[in-house]
Amino acid sequence: MDFLSRIPTHMDFEGQARAEKLSRIIITLFGAVGLIWGYIVQQFSQTVYILGAGFVLAALLTIPPWPMYRRKPLNWQPAKNGGENQVKEGSKKGKKK
Amino acid sequence: MHSVIQRGNSILAYALSVLACLTFICFASTVFLNYVTDVKINTVKVVVKNVPDYSISREKNDLGFLTFDMQADLTPLFNWNVKQLFLYLTAEYETPSNELNQVVLWDKIILRGENAALDFKNMNTKYYFWDDGNGLKGNKNITLSLSWNIIPNSGLLPNIFARGSHSFKFPVEYTTSRM
Repeated sequence: MDFLSRIPTHMDFEGQARAEKLSRIIITLFGAVGLIWGYIVQQFSQTVYILGAGFVLAALLTIPPWPMYRRKPLNWQPAKNGGENQVKEGSKKGKKK
Repeated sequence: MHSVIQRGNSILAYALSVLACLTFICFASTVFLNYVTDVKINTVKVVVKNVPDYSISREKNDLGFLTFDMQADLTPLFNWNVKQLFLYLTAEYETPSNELNQVVLWDKIILRGENAALDFKNMNTKYYFWDDGNGLKGNKNITLSLSWNIIPNSGLLPNIFARGSHSFKFPVEYTTSRM
């Protein structure tokens, strides 16, 4: 289980934007090419298959958090010693209730 | 887009939207096409009998028998938005009891990729040509015409009437011998 929790699953913000843009471009492009090809050979099924291929490609390229989407992690400030404040707020709320 | 599931959902939704759009384009590219073509129909042998139709009652009704020739090249009708054609041959006539009688005598499904250049010689009808009385004997104007339904990938289901029909007469005497 420790191994599973160490698999990275997140992208940074810029990576998310790039992933979305890339997937849209791939699917639209495959759809357009599929439409033209399907019209040339007069087989709409070819159009659907090509769009499906575009979907698979887009899924492979943009669903897993590849390293290319994780190049600009946020620079978080180092954690401060705020533990006491939280404890106090928590106890106040408890009294009100 | 922050989790794997969300990215998968977003991509799938977008791909399906694109598919709907492509399907609409496919429909729009064929909706104004003209699917009417010529057909040549001719009858070869025409016979009328007077026999009881036990499926309805014991009364004797007119039953027509005919064989026909048909020539039609339906290949140009197929395009990327036509999956199959359903052809049917209709006999239309008038009797004293009914102003309009329509009987489907024969039909055929042509799938895409099958030979659509039809040339039938001396074909038998597929269905019985019953009249609901005695309107067939000596009837002078029976019109055979071919129609088809186009079954598309997406869009309308048009019903097309072919150009060209054939009119014939039934004999004035019943045939009693077995055929």
